[in-house]
Amino acid sequence: MFYLSRQTVSRHRSLYAGSFIALAVGVFLLGLAATATAATIAYSGPVARSITVTTLGGRDLEPRQVRVPLSDADVSGLQTVLSLVGTISGFITIFVIASTFAFAVASRRREIGLLRLIGATPSQVRRMVLGEVLVVALAASLTGAVLAQLATPLLLSKASYTELAPVKLEPASPWVPLAIAVGIGLVVAMLGARSAARRAGRVGPVDALREAALEPPRIGPVRITFGVLFLAGFITLLALIRPSTGEGVTPLAMFTPMLLVIALTLLAPVVVPWVGRLWALPLIAWTRVSGRLAQSNVVAAPRRSASLAAPILAISAIAGSMVLSLSFAADSAEATIRDTLRAPIVVEGFADLGEVPGVTAVDAGIPLQLIRISSDDAELEDAEGIDPAVASRTRDLTAISGDISRLTGNTVAVSKEMAGFDSYQVGDEIPVTFTDRSATKLRVVAVVKDAQGVNPSILIPLDLVRRHAPTAQPERIFVDGVDLTTLNEHLSGTTAHAVPAAEWEAEQAEGVREGNRLGLILLLGPAALYSAIAIANTLLMGSLQRRHEFITSRLLGATPAQIRRMVLWESGLVGAVALSLGTAITLTVGILIRHAMNSGLTDVPMTVPWAVLTGIAGICLTLAVGSALAPTTYILRRSQPSAAVD
Amino acid sequence: MTSTAPTYPTVVPTQPPALLLDGITKTYRSKAGSVDALRGVTYHFAQGSFTAVMGPSGSGKSTLLQCAAGLDQPTTGTVVLGGTTLSGLNEVALTKLRRNEMGFVFQAYNLLPSLTVYDNVALPLRLTGRRPSRGDVHRVLDQVGLQDKAKRRPAELSGGQQQRVAIARALITRPSVFFADEPTGALDSGTSRQILSLLREATERAGQTVVMVTHDPVAAAYAERVLFLSDGLIAGHLDRGTPAQIAAAMSSLER
Ligand SMILES: Nc1ncnc2c1ncn2[C@@H]1O[C@H](COP(=O)(O)OP(=O)(O)OP(=O)(O)O)[C@@H](O)[C@H]1O
Ligand SMILES: [Mg+2]
Repeated sequence: MFYLSRQTVSRHRSLYAGSFIALAVGVFLLGLAATATAATIAYSGPVARSITVTTLGGRDLEPRQVRVPLSDADVSGLQTVLSLVGTISGFITIFVIASTFAFAVASRRREIGLLRLIGATPSQVRRMVLGEVLVVALAASLTGAVLAQLATPLLLSKASYTELAPVKLEPASPWVPLAIAVGIGLVVAMLGARSAARRAGRVGPVDALREAALEPPRIGPVRITFGVLFLAGFITLLALIRPSTGEGVTPLAMFTPMLLVIALTLLAPVVVPWVGRLWALPLIAWTRVSGRLAQSNVVAAPRRSASLAAPILAISAIAGSMVLSLSFAADSAEATIRDTLRAPIVVEGFADLGEVPGVTAVDAGIPLQLIRISSDDAELEDAEGIDPAVASRTRDLTAISGDISRLTGNTVAVSKEMAGFDSYQVGDEIPVTFTDRSATKLRVVAVVKDAQGVNPSILIPLDLVRRHAPTAQPERIFVDGVDLTTLNEHLSGTTAHAVPAAEWEAEQAEGVREGNRLGLILLLGPAALYSAIAIANTLLMGSLQRRHEFITSRLLGATPAQIRRMVLWESGLVGAVALSLGTAITLTVGILIRHAMNSGLTDVPMTVPWAVLTGIAGICLTLAVGSALAPTTYILRRSQPSAAVD
Repeated sequence: MTSTAPTYPTVVPTQPPALLLDGITKTYRSKAGSVDALRGVTYHFAQGSFTAVMGPSGSGKSTLLQCAAGLDQPTTGTVVLGGTTLSGLNEVALTKLRRNEMGFVFQAYNLLPSLTVYDNVALPLRLTGRRPSRGDVHRVLDQVGLQDKAKRRPAELSGGQQQRVAIARALITRPSVFFADEPTGALDSGTSRQILSLLREATERAGQTVVMVTHDPVAAAYAERVLFLSDGLIAGHLDRGTPAQIAAAMSSLER
């Protein structure tokens, strides 16, 4: 059957060109993520720049040695981003391949029926479709891998010396990572094509004889079951979005919509016509004939409409949710910073404020990093040395349990979030290693409210910092009891300067948003590019397949303008259906995340990135309509009505 | 079957029927209501016979053919093909029976557009896992008069040529029964004659059985017997009729 697959692929080139490009880009992104990750793994900072510690181990865990790189040689930020990029690329690839092949099979029902008629068994047909996928996937994966290899040096030179990887990265041996990317590409393609192949196997020989281009609208029990399972998974994840989610917000904002996207895609043959009917109501009222035609085309071929809607739904839901959630996260961070800081003035930089008259509180906490060792890992954490007596006047250090005033000696106060993750309780001892390589155990004396941007997750006594990092200096000082001008006069001549607390808070919030923006571009940039290709691909394919229908309509007297209008409304309708589902997902996730993060906060500002969100919707819709109209226009220009006869 | 003259071989009664239909009914159910397409058809197609099935549009001809070929399940009744009862078979067994024992020719030529004429003809053999020998393929192409078109694709052939490719494809597996549904429906009379002669040759030379649905009395006259179908029931038959007799029988049926 492989021989047949090869022939079919070369014949239906337009049908597979899209899958080829989509998969090649997918493997390109995966390959790039893989080679870059290999480069970060191969990177070895100077030996002095890392500390090796042994984890505690636990009931089922062997203690192990972990080499923790110190801050200025840390490439784990880049690794995290790369793994997320890889995940998104892989996800969208499965998606695109699945919908492309579902489409290819649906539009070749008669041909497959014919094969069955002349003696192909269902499993032979299945193998033929899988063979087609293999032909396309092999070619596409190898192309993607070669491109990735070519682009790796460029990516690494761009990524070097950035916030994410503050070191110089060199390309590592590409064979293993590229083999992994190609392997993933093939597996993903096969997974994506499995349901299409199975459906092809169910085409009966009579289908060759019936003019039934329209598939039966029923969807199988397996599909429904999985759809419902993913829906349940989505609801479970939603339930996980709770106050204290904290840092987990980014992955949750990414994975939660993914689950619902899968669920909705599985159930799409049911959902899409239903939503389509709804959207068609105003359209029909406005346009009469072409609107009605568009509606019946969308509703009568639910599978096809579902395939067309899937990529738009996927990217709009994922991008929308992440953009909105991260914006809401920044809002809540802003409110937290505002609520936590009590001092009216912040000095940025370090200066000795001892003899400024009137000063009642100088909270000069010293930041440092230390290695926190847990049962299965050891990580470099940001910590701050504070004087609890002063700090609890300048900031909100309300203890949820324990007593912050007992922060002396070998003790520590941890944030609620960290306590939640590692189930620390007051009285527990946390083993740590300082950057001077001395190891000790810190007793937890208090669990305090989360206050990212003001307090790091770990607070230790100031003395402890002075002992282990004698040269460390404060980076900002919270001050009370003096007015701004007096303070700035005093500071003239130093590098430090004082600003009102509100100004400092705004700067911090802006910093958070800035960081989010970078993350979004890194994460969504490739995915968006990819989805754009996918959307264009499916619609292009869809329109090219309808050549005969268009020409017949011309023969019946429809003008090219009428046909174009019909296609315009139809693709617009599919786009609107997908976008409305995407919007629903975005809103659900966004609202829940906002609700979760804002518990205990009042007066949280609300920043909705309207420009970005409408931009996403606009691009999706433009792409959808454009890539349906362009081939239609092309077909109409190229063919005379008489072509319908042959 | 020794004679090559256009006299019809008489059916030897001791031979088992090539195809046996026993009390076939078929009811299509859909949202719009149910249609009784066949309402009890019993008939024996003798081995080596050439039977035409005629009847008004919607009388159930195509349905009969599809049930007889195991493409569709009859609602009740049994089909026995060469001693095998179709209703007991699963999809794979049915497919294997189809590719070894049956050949199909339909009005729409039903060729795979991506394959050359040669590959289209060789396909049924490849599907059985056999390697088609060049000689076999060229022999059947020769038989249908297309030996010089082996490298073309279906889109580069005329309708009649495409239909001959379809016949060559049906011939290559040497099936015992040919099913043809309006095989000449879209062809001019000259081309039709070629196609029908090919089918008749199959019954005369190789003892293959042909069941052909047609609307054309001239085409039906090539068969040794015409079976009339009306409203899902067999309404009668006519042996060795001339086109004029067949047309007359048809119009009395339509009245
Ligand atoms: N898949 C189907 N679903 C529902 N009804 C059907 C289906 N196929 C055929 N029918 C109905 O069954 C009856 C017989 O149809 P069939 O195709 O066998 O007629 P026919 O004799 O071949 O007609 P024609 O000469 O026009 O081809 C018709 O009334 C038709 O409407
Ligand atoms: Mg018919």
